[in-house]
Formats: sequence, C-alpha cells, structure tokens
Amino acid sequence: MSRRPPRGEYIETDTGNKVARKATLVGTQNIILGGKTVIQPEVMIRGDLIRSVQAQSSSGGAPASNTAVAIGRYCFLSRGCCLRPPGRLYKGAFTYMPLRIGDHVFVGPGSVVQAAFIGNHVHIGSKVAVGESAIIKDYVRILDGSVVPPNMVIPSFSVVAGQPARVIGEVPEGGHEAFELRDLYKTVGNNPQPAPS
Amino acid sequence: MAPLSPYTYIQCPCSDPGNLSSATRSSNPSSPADEDCFDPRAPRSNYSLYPLEYLLFCDDCHQIRCPRCVAEEIVAYYCPSCLFEVPSSNLKSEGNRCTRSCFQCPVCIGPLSVSSLETQPESNLLSAPDNAPAPHTGPYILSCSYCNWSSTEIGITFDKPNNIHAQLAKQRNGGTTRLTAKERKDRRKDMAQSGLRSQSPTPASPAATSGTGQTQEPLDLETQFTNLKTFYQRQLAESNSSHGSSMDLSSLGDLGFASPNSLSRIMSIYTGGGLHDKKAKARAGVMREALSPDEGLQLSDLDESPAIAHLHTHGHAGTITTEQRLAQPPNLGEPHLHGATRFESTLRPIPYLLRTKRSKRCPICRHIISKPEAKVQTTRFRIRLVAGSYIPSITIKPLNNPAALPETLEPLKPVQYVLTFKNPIFDPVKITLASPSKTPGRFGSKVTVLCPQFEIDANTDVWDEALKDGGDASGTSRKRQQQQQQQRRGDDGGQQAEAGKIWERGRNWVSIVVEVVPASLRLDRLATTTTGKGQDERETKEVRDDDDEEEEEEEEEEEQEDRKGKKAIVDTSPLKEDEDVLEIPMFVRIEWEADSVGDDMLGGGSSAPARDKDVKEKRELAYWCVLGLGRVRQD
Ligand SMILES: [Zn+2]
Ligand SMILES: [Zn+2]
Ligand SMILES: [Zn+2]
Ligand SMILES: [Zn+2]
Repeated sequence: MSRRPPRGEYIETDTGNKVARKATLVGTQNIILGGKTVIQPEVMIRGDLIRSVQAQSSSGGAPASNTAVAIGRYCFLSRGCCLRPPGRLYKGAFTYMPLRIGDHVFVGPGSVVQAAFIGNHVHIGSKVAVGESAIIKDYVRILDGSVVPPNMVIPSFSVVAGQPARVIGEVPEGGHEAFELRDLYKTVGNNPQPAPS
Repeated sequence: MAPLSPYTYIQCPCSDPGNLSSATRSSNPSSPADEDCFDPRAPRSNYSLYPLEYLLFCDDCHQIRCPRCVAEEIVAYYCPSCLFEVPSSNLKSEGNRCTRSCFQCPVCIGPLSVSSLETQPESNLLSAPDNAPAPHTGPYILSCSYCNWSSTEIGITFDKPNNIHAQLAKQRNGGTTRLTAKERKDRRKDMAQSGLRSQSPTPASPAATSGTGQTQEPLDLETQFTNLKTFYQRQLAESNSSHGSSMDLSSLGDLGFASPNSLSRIMSIYTGGGLHDKKAKARAGVMREALSPDEGLQLSDLDESPAIAHLHTHGHAGTITTEQRLAQPPNLGEPHLHGATRFESTLRPIPYLLRTKRSKRCPICRHIISKPEAKVQTTRFRIRLVAGSYIPSITIKPLNNPAALPETLEPLKPVQYVLTFKNPIFDPVKITLASPSKTPGRFGSKVTVLCPQFEIDANTDVWDEALKDGGDASGTSRKRQQQQQQQRRGDDGGQQAEAGKIWERGRNWVSIVVEVVPASLRLDRLATTTTGKGQDERETKEVRDDDDEEEEEEEEEEEQEDRKGKKAIVDTSPLKEDEDVLEIPMFVRIEWEADSVGDDMLGGGSSAPARDKDVKEKRELAYWCVLGLGRVRQD
C-alpha cells in the first residue's frame, strides 16, 4: 500500500465511480455507471457490442439508446472480470442486447458475465461464467466456479453452484445484509480506508 | 487443501430437549459448569449449529430460533423459471411442476428454450433485409444451450411456440400421439362401464381378455390405479356382505395382503383415508386378486431383448445415469417407469419443479417471526426477525497479519486471534464468555480467553454518530486510522495482549484476544503424553470477575488429570474426518437493560421480574457457540 502510482491507481469520477486506469472499457459512450461503482484493474467491459438491430419500440417512448452495458450504484467489478452484452437472434438477425446490472452487484475476479439482466444485491463469485441472456433476480449468490447456462432464470434468494449451475440452496433471512457493498466501496480507490471490523 | 476461513456457529436452544418445554432458558444460565461442556463434534451438534445468518429470533420468547425448529407455512408457489405464481388450487389438479413452457434438459438439467427449427443459423439470415419479420412457422423444438440436447433427439417437435407442456403431454417420444390425462379419464369411464357389464355375469379370466387385444397396450399408471381401486372396493363390499359373521379365520387372514382388513388399511393410506371402514373391524376371509386389465392386472414385461438389442446398437453411451433417471418427472401417462428409462431415447424434458415462499413461526409461542410478501416478484418481508439484529456477531481474525490466513495451524505453537463482538441493539450490553481450557475431543487444544468479560456500547444511529463528530463523516475513519497506526506500532513495539484487557473498542464493537495452543495430532503422542487429558474433556473453565483464578484453575486441572489418568483407555484409531479442525466451544452470556415495554412474556419461567413501564428491564440471553479457527497441521 505504501508504493502507489503517482497519479493514483484509480480515476474517481464526480458520481463517485472508481475506475482503475488499468481497466479496459471499450466503447465508453455506451457504458453507463450509476455511481459509486468500483472497477478494478484488468476488468474489461465491452461497450462496443451494441444492438445492430434496433427494436422498433416507438410505442414505448423510450429513447432509442445505444446503451450496451448499464451498471447501477455500489457495484464492484473485481480484477480480471469481463462484462459482455449477450448476443442473440432478433427477428431472424443477429444482434447484441444490452446488459443491465442493478445496485450492489459484486462480480468476482476472473468471471465472465453475459447476462441480460442482473438485479440488485447479487454476488457472483470468482471464475464464474454467466451465459448469454441469463436473468438473475435480486439477492442471488453464485458460488465460485459456477457455469450459469445461457437463458437461465435464477429467482430471488437462490444460492447457485455447479456446472451447469443449479439452485443448491436459499439465502437465509439473516443473510440479506451481507450483500451490501457500501463498506467494500470504501476499501478501494486512491484513498482506501480499512474495512470496518 | 484449501485453508479453512474462521467461522462462528451458534447453537439453537432447540437442540436441548429441556429447552423446548419452557420458553426461555433457565433464569440463571451463567453457570455452564453445571451442564456438560458443549461438544461441537458430538453427532447431535450437527443439527443444532448454524451461522448467525440462518438464525431467527422470537421477540416474545426472547430466544434464538433455527431452521430446524421453526414451523414453516407456504405463502406462495411459483415457477422458478417463468416466475409466475401458481394458485394452490391448481396444485391439486396439475401437480407441483410448471405447466407453461418451462423445462429442464433431461441430460444436463440446464434450462431448455423453445426455438424454431426454421430459423437455424444455417439459413442465410445475415443478408435478410433489416426489419423483415422472420417467419416463425415452426416446427418448434426444445433445446438446451448448455449441452446442445434438443427434443429432436427423442423425436419430438411442437406446432406452436407456447404452451409446450400441453403439447408435450400429447406426444410420446418419437412423435406418436398419446392420450391426454382427460382423454385417459374418459376412456377409463368407458372401460369401467364396459368392465362392469362384462364383470357381472362371469368373472373375466386372463385368458379371455388377452385375446381381446386390450392387453396389447399396457395400462398407464392412472388407469391401472383406478381399475385396481374399483376392483378392490367391489371386493370389500362383497366380503362385507358375505363373510360378515364368520370370525374363525380372522386372526390368520388379517396377516396377508389378500385379507380385507389389511386391504382396507392399505387403501386408506393410498386413497386419502376415505375408504377406511372403522365399523367393519372383524371382517374375515380371503379375497381373490385382480385377474384382468379391467380389474387392474398388469402383466410384467420380462422380455428384455429389445433393451439388449438397443444396448448392442447404442452401447453404454446411449444409457442414462442414475441422476438423470432420478431427475425424470413421474410420467403418469406411460407404463410403469420401473426400468423403463434406461436409454437416452426414453428421456423426457423435465418440467420445472415449483418453488415456494414461506413464512416461519416460533415453535413455542406460534408467533410469526418471518413473513415474506406474497407477491412473487417482490423481495420485501412483512416480518423478518433475524438473530443478527438481537445478538452480537463474532468475527475472528488472526492477531498478527490479519490479512493473510495461515494455511494450517502449527501444532503446539501458541497463536492469538482477535475476536470482534459487534452489538446490534440500541442498549449497551455486558458480555461474559466461558470456554473450556481444553477443547473437547481426542486432541485437546489449550484455549485462553484473555478478556472474558466486557461491555459493548449501544449501537447508536449512524446519524447520531455523525453529529457527535461535528457532522464530519470522516471523523470516525480518522479515529480508526489512528487506532490502526497505534495497533501497527503496537505490533512492532511489542504491545502485548494483556489478560483482562480488551484489545480494541469502537462505537458498538469490542475486540478481545484469544490465545490458542493447537494440539499435536500425533497418535503416538496421544498414547503417551495425553493419557491424562482424556477423551472426554468435560470440565469447563468458568470465568469470573476476579483475576486470581488461575492457580485454582491449574489445581483443578491436575486433579482432573489424576482422576482421568486411572481409567484412561486411549483411542488411537486414525484421524477421523475433520478431527484436525480446531473448534472452540464458547458459552456467551449477554446482559442488558431494555426499556420495559410491558410486553407480555409468553410461556412461563421468563426472566423478567420488573414489569413497571418506566423501569428498565433486565434482560439476558445465553447460548453456546463454536469458533472454528482452522485445520491443525499434521506433524
Ligand atoms: Zn432450533
Ligand atoms: Zn414456468
Ligand atoms: Zn442440456
Ligand atoms: Zn416465541
């Protein structure tokens, strides 16, 4: 901790995001960070993989955005993980779909995430592969080394493990608070603070 | 072996049968020496130790409740894949699986998705005009994107992309049509009627019916069951009328399957109790068995030559594993499953089993202690009384180098651990700890709790804290940094953990130091040096306020060694599973003064003498917990 790069290892944005200088963010204009999110070195986010077929949702009134990856607040992307929008066939043509991630989502080191949606309070362990277009609801814990098959839906309060991943248990009532990442956020950055005991 | 990270498990009072009768522990739980020291390795402990997150707390009984003792009630059923709620009325008629289009792969249990055979990537799609709606005309298949299995492998395709469950129910593997449950029911009715007609003049013989071609198609389970049921019901009615008076053989006849009594008992088990005729206790006689398919007779197909031929052509690669067979859903429309699904070609997609949302009640006072919102998609709880908001959490870190966990513990080398107790409640609490001086089991490790009694400040609001620091939110952290520096200096400058003194203190937490001398796991040493220390270390070191206890303690120990040394039979069997894990049983007693809200204490024997509203009420809670430190290296 004593030998820090002179400029600081992280770029800290106005909204409190801490993005490591050694992280690779491709297509940054298509990546949305909600604030207070930590992106560690060697993380890769593929913002360049945007929709090639635009959904004609003129009725919905949603702005036709090019967002490829949207990340909420207090997310923690550990060293060497990769976020990649899922690809699929839409009306017969191949296109990427946006990857949306909620708040307090932890992605462990070396994991590859190609989900379509990840809710709030989700813990993804290390060396996990989340297959294309998977949907992970709130309060889900994915144990180290799991391979979540493409298109899998994981309901809330599931503990998931295995290759292919299956639900192996339930998050107990007293385990909700453990998903909070506010304290972890403070422990990294250019001014790291010790974790509270 | 991966290093074991330290853990704390807490014992639920339900594991002690004496505790279930009274709502609270005895009013004076401060003397663990009275009871036997809790042995975390005892087989019984398997069922009573839980991490704090798994424990609930009953506010009325003031006691810990665990997943084993709470009473669960189902709030909602839902499919874990489509997340649709299933009304409980549907459950009876449709079973406990999703009846939409949610299936698991029969080979790898990954999710199956519906896709059109037409829009396979081979077709030249990339050149298709931008927004041309690709024609989804089917046929459709179920396919697994994990292992690439698809329903074409069992010869099944679908006409529509939705309601796969119903479409699948109409198809056998290979694509031949199959009667649906309703059609089978109708057919059963017809059969029953025709059966009755043929039955009444002469009992049908197997020879007669086999000629009619009805046995060509094996009965499905439902049909066979209904046929058997009606047949036995008729038999029972007949035996009631004809043998009503003959009592001679009743004692003998009762024993066999063919006896009306045992039959009515068995039927009451399998048909929901409606058939059990209590009045007709003394029915006698022997009844005949079913003789025709109409009566439910199903001849076993013992000819295995097709299976052998299949094995010849497909080899073992074509057979399925036990797990795959177990995952298969009960397939009511098909002949009996026994031995039927041995080949991959017989596998069926597995409809997702439904999942539940459940509320939990206290087993003693029946109050609800956890209740989720009924809506499937919400994660909120109406009631959630978790133990973590009532009892302190305990975290364990090595004193030196807290960042890196040692791979294993060095035998006979003292190590110090910092235990941090964090108080979740808004009153200051007094904590008293007691642990045996030697851990129970064959390999007793020495344990010394340097500061067994201390107070923790109340868990104040974060905002209160911020105000106290003059609105400077980083004030706390600065304090902490100072502390850290002090601590660091302490490590270098030889600041020792002192007996009777707490190690570190914060807003609502206190750290103390525990010193451990891990036992040697050598069996020869067990035979020579530790004879006296016994296999069953039952003595508990009780810790009191006074510090001059230690001499007394040692005397006690010697005495004990003498006592045990005489009858020591040394168990020198090889190291058992997890016997190298160093676990310290610790008795925790918490005392605090809570605002007496005049709450009605249910279940007598509560420890609340004061009931006045403005008087602070003395509360206490005591329980055993286990501190797991790590594995001891085998020397
Ligand atoms: Zn219990
Ligand atoms: Zn479903
Ligand atoms: Zn599969
Ligand atoms: Zn209760």
